[in-house]
Amino acid sequence: MMGIGRTIMPFELRQRADDPLNLGSLPMAEPPGDGWPAVEAALRQRNRRRAMHAGGGLLAVAASAVLAFSLLLGTPGHHAAAPGADPAAAAAASTDPQTEAIPAPLRAPSLESLIAMSRQLEDRIRSYRAQSGDLPSDVLVYQVELQDLIVQVDEELSMKPDSPALWAQRVNLLLDVTQLYENSLRRDYYRMASL
Amino acid sequence: MSGSPFEIELDELTLARARRGNVRACEAIYRAFHRPAYSVAFRIAQCPDTAQEIAQEAFITAFRKMRQYRGDAPFWGWLRRVVVNHAISTIRRDRSRTTVEWRDDHEPEPPRQEQLGLAMDLEAALALLSPEDRAVVWLHDVEGYNHREIADLFGKTESFSKTRLSRARSRLRDRLQPRKPATAALR
Repeated sequence: MMGIGRTIMPFELRQRADDPLNLGSLPMAEPPGDGWPAVEAALRQRNRRRAMHAGGGLLAVAASAVLAFSLLLGTPGHHAAAPGADPAAAAAASTDPQTEAIPAPLRAPSLESLIAMSRQLEDRIRSYRAQSGDLPSDVLVYQVELQDLIVQVDEELSMKPDSPALWAQRVNLLLDVTQLYENSLRRDYYRMASL
Repeated sequence: MSGSPFEIELDELTLARARRGNVRACEAIYRAFHRPAYSVAFRIAQCPDTAQEIAQEAFITAFRKMRQYRGDAPFWGWLRRVVVNHAISTIRRDRSRTTVEWRDDHEPEPPRQEQLGLAMDLEAALALLSPEDRAVVWLHDVEGYNHREIADLFGKTESFSKTRLSRARSRLRDRLQPRKPATAALR
Protein backbone atom coordinates (compact mmCIF):
# COMPACT_ATOMS: atom_id res chain seq x y z
CA MET A 1 0.00 0.00 0.00
CA MET A 2 1.39 3.35 -0.89
CA GLY A 3 2.28 5.95 1.64
CA ILE A 4 -0.35 8.45 0.71
CA GLY A 5 -3.22 6.04 1.18
CA ARG A 6 -4.06 6.26 4.85
CA THR A 7 -7.75 5.48 4.66
CA ILE A 8 -8.71 1.91 3.94
CA MET A 9 -11.32 1.80 1.23
CA PRO A 10 -14.29 -0.52 1.67
CA PHE A 11 -13.35 -2.85 -1.13
CA GLU A 12 -9.97 -3.46 0.42
CA LEU A 13 -11.61 -4.97 3.45
CA ARG A 14 -13.35 -7.56 1.40
CA GLN A 15 -12.03 -10.90 0.54
CA ARG A 16 -12.00 -11.54 -3.15
CA ALA A 17 -13.83 -14.82 -2.67
CA ASP A 18 -16.72 -13.40 -4.59
CA ASP A 19 -15.32 -14.02 -8.02
CA PRO A 20 -17.05 -17.35 -8.58
CA LEU A 21 -16.31 -17.42 -12.29
CA ASN A 22 -12.68 -16.54 -11.76
CA LEU A 23 -12.82 -13.53 -14.04
CA GLY A 24 -9.81 -12.21 -12.20
CA SER A 25 -7.74 -14.90 -13.87
CA LEU A 26 -8.07 -13.13 -17.20
CA PRO A 27 -4.87 -11.36 -18.17
CA MET A 28 -4.72 -7.59 -18.42
CA ALA A 29 -5.62 -6.36 -21.88
CA GLU A 30 -2.69 -4.93 -23.81
CA PRO A 31 -3.11 -1.35 -25.02
CA PRO A 32 -2.82 -1.04 -28.81
CA GLY A 33 -0.21 1.69 -28.53
CA ASP A 34 1.30 4.45 -26.49
CA GLY A 35 -1.36 7.03 -25.78
CA TRP A 36 0.96 9.36 -23.88
CA PRO A 37 1.72 11.76 -26.78
CA ALA A 38 -1.98 12.64 -27.05
CA VAL A 39 -2.32 13.09 -23.31
CA GLU A 40 0.85 15.17 -23.18
CA ALA A 41 -0.37 17.39 -26.01
CA ALA A 42 -3.59 18.03 -24.13
CA LEU A 43 -1.70 18.88 -20.95
CA ARG A 44 0.66 21.24 -22.73
CA GLN A 45 -2.25 22.92 -24.43
CA ARG A 46 -3.81 23.47 -21.04
CA ASN A 47 -0.54 24.88 -19.70
CA ARG A 48 -0.39 27.27 -22.64
CA ARG A 49 -3.93 28.40 -21.95
CA ARG A 50 -2.96 28.99 -18.35
CA ALA A 51 -0.02 31.04 -19.53
CA MET A 52 -2.38 33.06 -21.68
CA HIS A 53 -4.57 33.67 -18.67
CA ALA A 54 -1.50 34.75 -16.78
CA GLY A 55 -0.79 37.12 -19.66
CA GLY A 56 -4.22 38.58 -19.27
CA GLY A 57 -3.43 39.11 -15.64
CA LEU A 58 -0.30 41.15 -16.15
CA LEU A 59 -1.74 43.97 -14.14
CA ALA A 60 -1.96 41.62 -11.22
CA VAL A 61 1.64 40.65 -11.78
CA ALA A 62 2.61 44.29 -11.58
CA ALA A 63 2.07 44.34 -7.85
CA SER A 64 4.34 41.37 -7.25
CA ALA A 65 6.88 42.83 -9.66
CA VAL A 66 7.01 46.03 -7.71
CA LEU A 67 7.35 44.02 -4.56
CA ALA A 68 10.18 42.04 -6.11
CA PHE A 69 12.06 45.16 -7.03
CA SER A 70 11.56 46.68 -3.64
CA LEU A 71 12.81 43.49 -2.03
CA LEU A 72 15.80 43.29 -4.30
CA LEU A 73 16.83 46.88 -4.37
CA GLY A 74 14.94 49.13 -2.09
CA THR A 75 14.85 47.52 1.32
CA PRO A 76 18.06 47.93 3.27
CA GLY A 77 16.94 45.47 5.89
CA HIS A 78 16.53 42.89 3.22
CA HIS A 79 20.17 43.11 2.23
CA ALA A 80 21.16 42.96 5.84
CA ALA A 81 19.28 39.72 6.14
CA ALA A 82 21.24 38.29 3.26
CA PRO A 83 24.86 38.20 4.26
CA GLY A 84 27.05 37.24 1.39
CA ALA A 85 25.12 39.18 -1.17
CA ASP A 86 27.40 41.31 -3.26
CA PRO A 87 26.87 44.95 -2.16
CA ALA A 88 28.63 46.25 -5.26
CA ALA A 89 26.29 44.31 -7.48
CA ALA A 90 23.34 45.57 -5.52
CA ALA A 91 24.60 49.13 -5.82
CA ALA A 92 25.19 48.66 -9.51
CA ALA A 93 21.74 47.26 -9.90
CA SER A 94 20.26 50.26 -8.17
CA THR A 95 21.81 52.52 -10.78
CA ASP A 96 20.99 50.23 -13.66
CA PRO A 97 18.87 52.11 -16.20
CA GLN A 98 16.51 49.18 -16.20
CA THR A 99 15.79 49.62 -12.55
CA GLU A 100 15.09 53.26 -13.18
CA ALA A 101 12.09 51.96 -15.06
CA ILE A 102 10.52 50.26 -12.10
CA PRO A 103 6.91 50.02 -13.06
CA ALA A 104 4.48 52.12 -11.17
CA PRO A 105 2.06 50.18 -9.02
CA LEU A 106 -0.73 48.57 -11.03
CA ARG A 107 1.05 49.22 -14.28
CA ALA A 108 2.11 46.11 -16.18
CA PRO A 109 5.89 45.69 -16.09
CA SER A 110 7.68 45.83 -19.39
CA LEU A 111 9.29 42.79 -20.92
CA GLU A 112 12.76 44.22 -20.24
CA SER A 113 12.00 44.81 -16.59
CA LEU A 114 10.62 41.28 -16.19
CA ILE A 115 13.76 39.82 -17.75
CA ALA A 116 15.94 41.97 -15.50
CA MET A 117 13.93 40.89 -12.46
CA SER A 118 14.24 37.28 -13.46
CA ARG A 119 18.01 37.62 -13.75
CA GLN A 120 18.36 39.36 -10.42
CA LEU A 121 16.15 36.88 -8.63
CA GLU A 122 18.30 34.08 -9.98
CA ASP A 123 21.41 35.82 -8.66
CA ARG A 124 19.76 36.19 -5.31
CA ILE A 125 18.73 32.54 -5.20
CA ARG A 126 22.31 31.51 -6.03
CA SER A 127 23.48 33.66 -3.17
CA TYR A 128 20.95 32.14 -0.78
CA ARG A 129 21.91 28.65 -1.84
CA ALA A 130 25.52 29.39 -1.01
CA GLN A 131 24.56 30.64 2.44
CA SER A 132 21.91 28.21 3.53
CA GLY A 133 22.44 24.65 4.57
CA ASP A 134 20.17 21.82 3.55
CA LEU A 135 16.54 22.76 3.31
CA PRO A 136 14.07 20.76 5.39
CA SER A 137 12.62 17.89 3.37
CA ASP A 138 9.14 19.38 3.07
CA VAL A 139 10.58 22.67 1.87
CA LEU A 140 12.91 20.81 -0.46
CA VAL A 141 9.99 19.00 -2.09
CA TYR A 142 8.28 22.31 -2.74
CA GLN A 143 11.49 23.85 -4.01
CA VAL A 144 11.95 20.96 -6.47
CA GLU A 145 8.39 21.40 -7.67
CA LEU A 146 8.97 25.08 -8.26
CA GLN A 147 12.18 24.38 -10.14
CA ASP A 148 10.31 21.91 -12.32
CA LEU A 149 7.73 24.52 -13.12
CA ILE A 150 10.46 26.98 -13.96
CA VAL A 151 11.92 24.42 -16.37
CA GLN A 152 8.50 24.10 -17.99
CA VAL A 153 8.21 27.85 -18.36
CA ASP A 154 11.72 27.93 -19.82
CA GLU A 155 10.67 25.36 -22.39
CA GLU A 156 7.78 27.60 -23.36
CA LEU A 157 10.08 30.60 -23.40
CA SER A 158 12.41 28.88 -25.83
CA MET A 159 9.53 29.01 -28.30
CA LYS A 160 8.18 32.42 -27.28
CA PRO A 161 11.11 34.36 -25.86
CA ASP A 162 9.26 37.67 -26.00
CA SER A 163 6.18 36.63 -24.10
CA PRO A 164 5.66 38.97 -21.12
CA ALA A 165 3.16 36.48 -19.70
CA LEU A 166 5.77 33.72 -19.58
CA TRP A 167 8.41 36.02 -18.13
CA ALA A 168 5.89 37.14 -15.53
CA GLN A 169 5.24 33.50 -14.64
CA ARG A 170 8.96 32.94 -14.35
CA VAL A 171 9.38 35.93 -12.04
CA ASN A 172 6.55 34.76 -9.83
CA LEU A 173 8.00 31.28 -9.56
CA LEU A 174 11.44 32.69 -8.76
CA LEU A 175 9.84 34.87 -6.12
CA ASP A 176 8.33 31.74 -4.59
CA VAL A 177 11.75 30.07 -4.52
CA THR A 178 13.31 33.19 -3.01
CA GLN A 179 10.65 33.18 -0.34
CA LEU A 180 11.48 29.59 0.57
CA TYR A 181 15.14 30.42 1.11
CA GLU A 182 14.36 33.61 3.00
CA ASN A 183 12.03 31.77 5.34
CA SER A 184 14.66 29.11 5.86
CA LEU A 185 17.36 31.70 6.59
CA ARG A 186 15.00 33.50 8.95
CA ARG A 187 14.31 30.30 10.84
CA ASP A 188 18.04 29.65 11.12
CA TYR A 189 18.59 33.22 12.35
CA TYR A 190 15.94 32.93 15.07
CA ARG A 191 17.26 29.53 16.09
CA MET A 192 20.73 30.94 16.50
CA ALA A 193 19.42 34.03 18.31
CA SER A 194 17.57 31.89 20.82
CA LEU A 195 20.70 30.01 21.86
CA MET B 1 -4.67 -11.40 -2.00
CA SER B 2 -4.06 -8.62 -4.42
CA GLY B 3 -7.22 -7.54 -6.19
CA SER B 4 -7.33 -4.84 -8.77
CA PRO B 5 -4.32 -4.41 -11.06
CA PHE B 6 -4.65 -0.73 -10.23
CA GLU B 7 -3.13 -1.27 -6.81
CA ILE B 8 0.20 0.34 -7.60
CA GLU B 9 2.29 2.36 -5.18
CA LEU B 10 3.16 5.89 -6.13
CA ASP B 11 5.62 8.12 -4.30
CA GLU B 12 4.45 11.37 -2.80
CA LEU B 13 6.94 13.50 -4.68
CA THR B 14 5.57 12.37 -8.03
CA LEU B 15 2.06 13.10 -6.84
CA ALA B 16 3.05 16.51 -5.53
CA ARG B 17 4.73 17.39 -8.81
CA ALA B 18 1.74 16.20 -10.83
CA ARG B 19 -0.53 18.36 -8.70
CA ARG B 20 1.62 21.33 -9.65
CA GLY B 21 1.16 20.48 -13.31
CA ASN B 22 4.57 18.93 -13.92
CA VAL B 23 4.30 17.10 -17.22
CA ARG B 24 7.11 14.63 -16.46
CA ALA B 25 5.38 13.60 -13.23
CA CYS B 26 2.13 13.17 -15.13
CA GLU B 27 3.97 10.97 -17.60
CA ALA B 28 5.33 8.82 -14.78
CA ILE B 29 1.80 8.34 -13.49
CA TYR B 30 0.55 7.59 -16.98
CA ARG B 31 3.27 4.99 -17.53
CA ALA B 32 2.49 3.32 -14.22
CA PHE B 33 -1.26 3.14 -14.69
CA HIS B 34 -1.82 3.04 -18.42
CA ARG B 35 -2.11 -0.71 -18.68
CA PRO B 36 -4.58 -1.25 -15.84
CA ALA B 37 -6.57 1.77 -16.99
CA TYR B 38 -6.74 0.50 -20.53
CA SER B 39 -7.50 -2.99 -19.32
CA VAL B 40 -10.51 -2.04 -17.20
CA ALA B 41 -11.77 0.21 -20.00
CA PHE B 42 -11.40 -2.65 -22.46
CA ARG B 43 -13.19 -5.12 -20.20
CA ILE B 44 -16.13 -2.75 -20.03
CA ALA B 45 -16.16 -1.42 -23.60
CA GLN B 46 -14.81 -4.53 -25.40
CA CYS B 47 -13.37 -2.39 -28.18
CA PRO B 48 -9.65 -1.57 -28.34
CA ASP B 49 -10.08 1.87 -29.88
CA THR B 50 -12.84 2.86 -27.50
CA ALA B 51 -10.86 1.57 -24.55
CA GLN B 52 -7.81 3.57 -25.58
CA GLU B 53 -9.99 6.65 -25.98
CA ILE B 54 -11.53 6.12 -22.55
CA ALA B 55 -8.12 5.70 -20.94
CA GLN B 56 -6.70 8.83 -22.56
CA GLU B 57 -9.69 10.97 -21.66
CA ALA B 58 -9.62 9.63 -18.13
CA PHE B 59 -5.94 10.50 -17.69
CA ILE B 60 -6.46 14.00 -19.04
CA THR B 61 -9.39 14.47 -16.66
CA ALA B 62 -7.39 13.07 -13.77
CA PHE B 63 -4.42 15.36 -14.41
CA ARG B 64 -6.70 18.36 -14.73
CA LYS B 65 -8.37 17.51 -11.45
CA MET B 66 -5.27 16.41 -9.58
CA ARG B 67 -5.76 19.16 -7.04
CA GLN B 68 -9.07 17.58 -6.08
CA TYR B 69 -7.24 14.47 -4.94
CA ARG B 70 -6.65 15.09 -1.26
CA GLY B 71 -4.52 12.12 -0.42
CA ASP B 72 -6.95 10.72 2.15
CA ALA B 73 -7.41 7.53 0.12
CA PRO B 74 -5.10 5.60 -2.18
CA PHE B 75 -4.37 7.44 -5.40
CA TRP B 76 -4.97 4.33 -7.47
CA GLY B 77 -8.53 4.11 -6.13
CA TRP B 78 -9.19 7.71 -7.09
CA LEU B 79 -7.69 7.28 -10.55
CA ARG B 80 -9.55 4.04 -11.12
CA ARG B 81 -12.81 5.74 -10.29
CA VAL B 82 -12.06 8.41 -12.90
CA VAL B 83 -11.37 5.71 -15.50
CA VAL B 84 -14.48 3.71 -14.61
CA ASN B 85 -16.64 6.83 -14.69
CA HIS B 86 -15.39 7.57 -18.18
CA ALA B 87 -15.98 3.99 -19.27
CA ILE B 88 -19.54 3.96 -17.96
CA SER B 89 -20.29 7.34 -19.53
CA THR B 90 -18.98 6.03 -22.83
CA ILE B 91 -21.01 2.83 -22.93
CA ARG B 92 -24.13 4.70 -21.98
CA ARG B 93 -23.58 7.48 -24.47
CA ASP B 94 -22.36 5.30 -27.24
CA ARG B 95 -24.18 2.00 -27.11
CA SER B 96 -24.52 1.89 -30.87
CA ARG B 97 -20.76 1.90 -31.30
CA THR B 98 -20.28 -1.35 -29.43
CA THR B 99 -18.37 -3.56 -31.78
CA VAL B 100 -19.36 -6.88 -30.30
CA GLU B 101 -22.93 -7.77 -30.99
CA TRP B 102 -25.02 -8.55 -27.97
CA ARG B 103 -28.63 -9.08 -27.17
CA ASP B 104 -30.18 -8.97 -23.74
CA ASP B 105 -32.63 -11.70 -24.61
CA HIS B 106 -30.66 -13.76 -27.02
CA GLU B 107 -30.71 -17.51 -27.18
CA PRO B 108 -27.46 -19.38 -26.82
CA GLU B 109 -25.65 -19.31 -30.12
CA PRO B 110 -25.05 -22.56 -31.92
CA PRO B 111 -21.71 -24.00 -30.93
CA ARG B 112 -18.81 -23.36 -33.26
CA GLN B 113 -16.76 -26.35 -32.37
CA GLU B 114 -13.69 -25.38 -34.29
CA GLN B 115 -13.36 -22.14 -32.36
CA LEU B 116 -14.80 -22.83 -29.00
CA GLY B 117 -14.41 -26.47 -28.30
CA LEU B 118 -16.70 -27.88 -25.64
CA ALA B 119 -16.63 -24.83 -23.41
CA MET B 120 -16.84 -21.26 -24.47
CA ASP B 121 -13.83 -19.28 -23.55
CA LEU B 122 -14.25 -17.05 -20.54
CA GLU B 123 -13.16 -14.00 -22.44
CA ALA B 124 -15.52 -14.68 -25.30
CA ALA B 125 -18.36 -15.30 -22.86
CA LEU B 126 -17.70 -11.98 -21.20
CA ALA B 127 -17.69 -10.24 -24.55
CA LEU B 128 -21.18 -11.53 -25.28
CA LEU B 129 -22.71 -9.81 -22.28
CA SER B 130 -24.37 -6.46 -22.61
CA PRO B 131 -22.00 -3.59 -21.75
CA GLU B 132 -23.81 -2.76 -18.52
CA ASP B 133 -23.95 -6.37 -17.35
CA ARG B 134 -20.31 -6.77 -18.21
CA ALA B 135 -19.37 -3.60 -16.37
CA VAL B 136 -21.27 -4.66 -13.27
CA VAL B 137 -19.84 -8.17 -13.11
CA TRP B 138 -16.32 -6.95 -13.81
CA LEU B 139 -16.42 -4.13 -11.28
CA HIS B 140 -17.90 -6.39 -8.62
CA ASP B 141 -16.00 -9.62 -9.15
CA VAL B 142 -12.61 -8.35 -10.27
CA GLU B 143 -12.26 -4.75 -9.15
CA GLY B 144 -13.97 -5.39 -5.84
CA TYR B 145 -16.62 -2.70 -5.90
CA ASN B 146 -19.66 -3.34 -3.72
CA HIS B 147 -23.27 -2.88 -4.81
CA ARG B 148 -23.54 0.55 -3.25
CA GLU B 149 -20.47 1.76 -5.12
CA ILE B 150 -21.68 0.29 -8.40
CA ALA B 151 -25.11 1.84 -7.90
CA ASP B 152 -23.43 5.22 -7.35
CA LEU B 153 -21.38 4.85 -10.51
CA PHE B 154 -24.47 4.12 -12.58
CA GLY B 155 -26.68 6.56 -10.73
CA LYS B 156 -29.06 3.75 -9.87
CA THR B 157 -30.18 1.72 -6.89
CA GLU B 158 -28.38 -1.20 -5.29
CA SER B 159 -31.02 -3.55 -6.61
CA PHE B 160 -29.98 -2.59 -10.12
CA SER B 161 -26.46 -3.73 -9.31
CA LYS B 162 -27.62 -6.96 -7.68
CA THR B 163 -29.96 -7.83 -10.52
CA ARG B 164 -27.37 -7.15 -13.19
CA LEU B 165 -24.71 -9.11 -11.34
CA SER B 166 -26.97 -12.10 -10.92
CA ARG B 167 -28.00 -12.02 -14.57
CA ALA B 168 -24.46 -11.57 -15.82
CA ARG B 169 -23.14 -14.46 -13.75
CA SER B 170 -25.98 -16.69 -14.85
CA ARG B 171 -25.33 -15.95 -18.51
CA LEU B 172 -21.64 -16.47 -18.12
CA ARG B 173 -22.25 -19.84 -16.48
CA ASP B 174 -24.56 -20.84 -19.31
CA ARG B 175 -21.90 -20.08 -21.85
CA LEU B 176 -19.13 -21.70 -19.92
CA GLN B 177 -20.96 -25.00 -19.49
CA PRO B 178 -19.58 -27.66 -21.75
CA ARG B 179 -21.86 -28.18 -24.67
CA LYS B 180 -22.93 -31.69 -25.59
CA PRO B 181 -21.22 -32.88 -28.72
CA ALA B 182 -23.56 -33.42 -31.68
CA THR B 183 -22.76 -37.13 -31.71
CA ALA B 184 -23.81 -37.50 -28.10
CA ALA B 185 -27.17 -36.00 -28.92
CA LEU B 186 -27.76 -38.67 -31.56
CA ARG B 187 -27.32 -41.54 -29.16
